[in-house]
This record gives sequence, C-alpha cells and structure tokens, in this order.
Amino acid sequence: MKTEFRPLTLFSLFGVELLKIRRSKIFLILLIPAVMMWLPSAMNANVNFLGSYDISPEHNYFIQGYMGMAWFMIPATLIVCTVLMNQTEISSRGLVKCLSLPVAAWKICLAKFLVTVFLTAVQLVLSIMAYYGSAALASGLYEYDFVLPLPYVCRAASLIYAAVIPAAAVYWIIGVLIRTPIFSVGLGLASIVPSVLMLNTKVWYCYPMDYPFYMLMTEYGKLVPELFSAKIELVPMVPIGIGTTLLCLTVACGRYGAAERNSGSL
Amino acid sequence: MTAYISPFCMPFLEMRKMKRTGFCQAFLGGGALAALVPVVNMALRAETFTSQPGSPFQILMEANWQLMAQLNIFLLVCGACLLYHTEYADNGLQKARSLPLGSSGLFLGKLGILLSAGLIPLCLETASLTLCCMRWFPDRPGESLRILTGMAFAFAMLLPTGAAMLLLSSMCRNMWISLGAGVILVFFASMLPASSSSVSDVLALVPFCGPYRMLHELPGREAALWTVCLCLGESVLLCAAERVYQSIRRCFA
Amino acid sequence: MSANIIETENLTKSYGNFTAVSNLSLHIKKGSVYGFLGPNGAGKSTTMKMLLGLTKPSSGSFHINGRTYPKDRLAILRDMGSFIEAPAFYGNLTGEENLEILRRILQLPKSAVEDALEIVGLTEHRKRLAKKYSLGMKQRLGLAGALLGHPPILILDEPTNGLDPIGIHEIRTLVRSLPEKYDCTVLVSSHLLPEVELMADDFGILNHGRLLFEGTMAALKRTADAAGLPTHDLEETFLAMIDIDNRNRGERR
Repeated sequence: MKTEFRPLTLFSLFGVELLKIRRSKIFLILLIPAVMMWLPSAMNANVNFLGSYDISPEHNYFIQGYMGMAWFMIPATLIVCTVLMNQTEISSRGLVKCLSLPVAAWKICLAKFLVTVFLTAVQLVLSIMAYYGSAALASGLYEYDFVLPLPYVCRAASLIYAAVIPAAAVYWIIGVLIRTPIFSVGLGLASIVPSVLMLNTKVWYCYPMDYPFYMLMTEYGKLVPELFSAKIELVPMVPIGIGTTLLCLTVACGRYGAAERNSGSL
Repeated sequence: MTAYISPFCMPFLEMRKMKRTGFCQAFLGGGALAALVPVVNMALRAETFTSQPGSPFQILMEANWQLMAQLNIFLLVCGACLLYHTEYADNGLQKARSLPLGSSGLFLGKLGILLSAGLIPLCLETASLTLCCMRWFPDRPGESLRILTGMAFAFAMLLPTGAAMLLLSSMCRNMWISLGAGVILVFFASMLPASSSSVSDVLALVPFCGPYRMLHELPGREAALWTVCLCLGESVLLCAAERVYQSIRRCFA
Repeated sequence: MSANIIETENLTKSYGNFTAVSNLSLHIKKGSVYGFLGPNGAGKSTTMKMLLGLTKPSSGSFHINGRTYPKDRLAILRDMGSFIEAPAFYGNLTGEENLEILRRILQLPKSAVEDALEIVGLTEHRKRLAKKYSLGMKQRLGLAGALLGHPPILILDEPTNGLDPIGIHEIRTLVRSLPEKYDCTVLVSSHLLPEVELMADDFGILNHGRLLFEGTMAALKRTADAAGLPTHDLEETFLAMIDIDNRNRGERR
C-alpha cells in the first residue's frame, strides 16, 4: 500500500494549502473590497471633470480609484487573509495534526505564504475586472469614455500588487507570531495608518507598507509631474523590500508551530 | 430576597473579565503609537511646522490629527470586538444572560470600560502634544488650556463611535463580521469629504466620522457645546438602540 | 535486537518546576496493543507528544523501529499514524476533504481515503462538512486520519472520549483487531482501566509522570496480590495503586 516516499515538494504542499481554504469565504474577502471600491467611484465619476491638475478625467478616475486600494484595501485584505489562515490552523488544531505528519513545519509555513501571494494575485485580477466594470458603468452614466487600454491598466495594477509582497511578509509574520486574532489584525491595521505620513518623508523606503502607495504615486507623477516624482527609485526600495521579505519569512518559518510544540496543555 | 447589582458596579465586573486578554496593553500600545505620530512628524520635518504662524497646538493638530484620530478609532473598533468576543468565544454570554442581570447592564458596563480605555490613548496623546509644543515651540507658551479643551472635545467626539461599534459587536456572534464591518466603516468614514463646512458639521455627529473633527475648526464656543451635547445625546440613543435590539432578539430567540 | 518496536529510556519532560514525565522507560512489543493508563494529567499525552516529535524531551531518549529522534524525525513520523488532541480537523471542509489533505501530505494512493472512511464507518457521511459532525463522528474522523495508509505504528490518545457506549464498543473492537488485520502496533491511552483491559495485551500505568507498573494483565494481578491490593475488580486495583502512590508522594514531600 505504501508508495516510495520522497520529501513533499513545495508545489504539492501549496495544493494542500489551497484545499484547506475551500469554502472559507476568503474569496469574498478578496472580492468585496474590489467591488466596494469601484462602485462608488463609478457613481461619482463626474468629480473627475473638476480636477485642479492637468490630468485627463479617465486617468484621474483610474488613479483615484486605485488610491483607496493601494493605501488601504489591499493591505487590509492581506491582513485579514493572513490572520484568517493562521487562525484556521490554531482554532481547529489542524496544525498539531500537521506537525505530527512527516513534513517540515517551515515548508508548511512557506506554502501558506505562497497561498497568500496567490490570493493577492487573484485580487489583482478581480480589481482589474472591477475597474473595467465600473469604468464602463461610469462611461454610460456620464457619456464620457473612462476606459483606459488594458496593457496600461494591467501594468500599473501589477506594479502596485507586486510592491505589496514585502508588506505581505510583514503581515505574515505578525499573523504567525501573534496568536490572538484581534491583536494581529489590530497591529496590522495600525501599521497601515502611518503609511501616507511615511511616504512624505525622506526615508519612505524604510517602511514597506507604503510601497504599493508609492508605486501608484509614481504613476500619478507621470501624469501630474508637479505632484510627485515620476521616477521609481529602485534603490534602496528593492533591496530593502527583498531583505524584509526574506527576514520575515525566515523568522516566521523558524517559529512556525513553536507554540503547538511547547504547549504543556493536553 | 434579590439584590440587584448596581449598574455602577458593572464596569468593575467587566474589567475582571478583561484580565489577561491584553485589552489594556492594546490600548497602551496603540495610544503610544498614536502619541508617537506628532513626535516623529516634528522630528522629521520640524521646519515645515515651526515656520507656520498661529497656535502650535492647532498646527500640530492640523498636521497629525487625521492619523491619530484614525488610530483612536481603530483601537475602539478592536476593543469593542474583543469585549464581546470574550463573551461569545466560550459561551460566557450564555452564562452572563442566565445571571440575574439586565443585559443592558452588560452593555453599559462594557461601554464604560471601552470609553475609559479610550481615555488611555487620549492621555498619552495629550502628553505627547504638550511635549511637542514645549520642545519645538518654546517661544509660544500658554497652550496647555487649549490642549486640554481640545482633547476633552476629542473625547466627546469618540463617544458615539464607541457606542456604535459596541452595538455592532454585540450583534455579531462571529467576531470577524463585526471586525470586518468596523474596518470597512472606518475606511469609508475616512474617505468622506471634510471640506465643505455645512456638510462636515453634520458629519461630526456621524459615528466613525466625528473623531476626525477638531475643536478649533468649529466657529465658536456655542457651536462646540452644541456638538458635544448632540454627541452625548447620540450615545444615549445608541444605548437605547441596544436595549431595543436585545428585547427584539429575546422575542425571536 | 529486541522485539520492542518502541523503547524509551529515562524519558523526562519538565516545564519549569513542574515535571510532567519523569524517567519513563517504556517497552512496547511489535504487533501488540499497549494500553497506556493513568488519571488525567498523569503525563500520557505529553509522552505521546514526545514520541510524535511535537514536544522536545528535557532529557532521555527513545527509539522507534530502530530509528532515533530527532535524527530521523521524518522517517519516524512516516511510520506512525496518530490521534492526539481529539478533534483536529478543518470545519470548512468535508470529512473526505480533511482526509484528502492528510493523504496528499503522506503521498498515499487515492484509494487510501475511501479505505480509511470504510474502516471507521464514515463512508455515508463523507460529503458532510466536518463542523456539522457530531462528537462521535469527529472522533471517528480523527481515527480515520490516524489509520490512513495503514501505518505500522498507531498512537491513539483516548480514542473513545466522548463516544456513546455503542461507539466505544465499536472502536474497542476495531483497535483490538488492528494488529492482526494490518500487522501494526498500537499505543492507546485511557484513564479507564476496564476499557483498556478489553483492548490491550500489555499495560503501562502512569501517575504524576512516573511509571508505576508495566507488563501483562496477569503480571498486574500478581503484583497487586503481592502488595495486598484488591484484585477481584481491576478498577479498584488501579485506583488503589494510584492512591498508594499519591500517599507516598505526599510523604516524600
């Protein structure tokens, strides 16, 4: 009955982790913010004609809509997803079971983080779809073409979502280390609040939570040069981002399941 | 003979339940974070603010209150969720309901705790704002009264938000729902326009929007007093709403 | 080479001042059912957790099937099916999907899930969500997870907890039949001697982390006789042994 045993690949564990979040309503958590952001935008699309800067209404519509996403909704969904995934393991004691199986804990941890990244990518697609839906709606409502070409939208949106990965690693470590759900969510949300303040300082690159917003602002800067620098300063953002991601993942993987191992309770 | 527990005892009873949940630490930590905001802002960009004319307190508030108020609201949201989560998590609420206590007593006790906990960040913020005034604006003294009244006003503005959030979390058995709804409300409130004054006067009374208001924005003493009174009244109304909700729930339960 | 599949040598686990397991040396024969007995908090679960690598021994060592921990951790776990901390499952998944997760991690053929469901009698409920399961069904699901792929060693921590008399009987018969059917060794814990008596070949009695007795039922009766303990009722023998040990501990202190 037993087959030859090789260590599980990360890819098959990724499949296992995806199976675990079936029916967990995580898809709704991804979908609701995307729709919720874009529907009011379509309703109020006429404010884009009154802009004080020299920017076309359709670009303004795109930037303003993604501003709420980049500043708040993307990080908030990520926080909720990471905490929810960790809490499912803790509350169901599934992690205890997984630790007694022949698989390394760090691999489970990494596979779960990959699921988080995957969920982010799903939301990227959803947000682009929601954008097109709402832009079409706005175009119909105000008889003006708000729709931007797909390559432009995809590139800008993908950059925002790619920039969120270091922050995702930070939220992941918060979710792993802080076991009371309300505090891991609270700390994560509190970390979003100062991101706009940090972006206006000279050391913005020290705070990975503002990277997605930074990406959007550079996009804004391309259209309104007096507002923000259009050039993406890759150094030191990329090294710091990669460093943060690696550090957070290393610590999180090292500590994964530590509480389950050391608990004296039955 | 039945002795009823006086409503004034309820906050103390409720306080015991919060032992070791990290409730107080959260408010201390969150408050410290909010108190750090003006300090960091001043330390990084002092000349931007010291060059501005006028009251230092108002300068500091204009620069930082948006963030600080948002942190305060987040604390209230998380605190309210936690207060009822401990009840629902291990069926403590069922036990509490089976005791000879009015369920509105439970709510008022929790509200008392939430609001007194809300004082913690406000006190820390007051201290940090005072320090900022002394450190960076030594040439413009006499701000302490303005800071105190400003922060007292801020506390009054927090009341309806606290009551509304607690009402919301008392309705949701699943903490994630109340937390999610609270976060979304905070987000939308922060997106609402605060520019035109007639609109923002009304918004000051809306839970989740009010805490962003600052005392010096209001046209005069009378307007400020009216706003505070209306906020108090609104909080009482929200408590009444909880009572109505409880009796409706009992009818259907 | 001994016939013992699991052997522990002076296995000790302490948390601060508290010693949960002290100098435990177990000898579990291959192909037997080993009953691990003791009152709640005696250290049964801690021992099992150490065998599964869930918690690190403070001192002492053990080897399983010729392998030692922690060097061959994954190889040891591959040979063991376990049922610990009662219901460990994902409520948002069906019973079948819960097993599917374990199957994928263990890299077993697809038929293993059906097979395990069949053994514990959950086949007809396999499409139901695990959170909708009754306590007994959850217990069976946990057992199915342990039996998945017929591992040579089974570690079952109080598998009959929360079951009704019929369920207890079924599980007992099942455990009893496992060694012959699948050529495996079973370590099963319980706090009820009469229950283990019907399942096990050998016994280990644990109290406050110390092993009071190890051997067959006949040997237990002889020991009890020699010590002047009641032997007509095993429950009483067990209780008397624990009681004497507790009194001795009191004196030592």
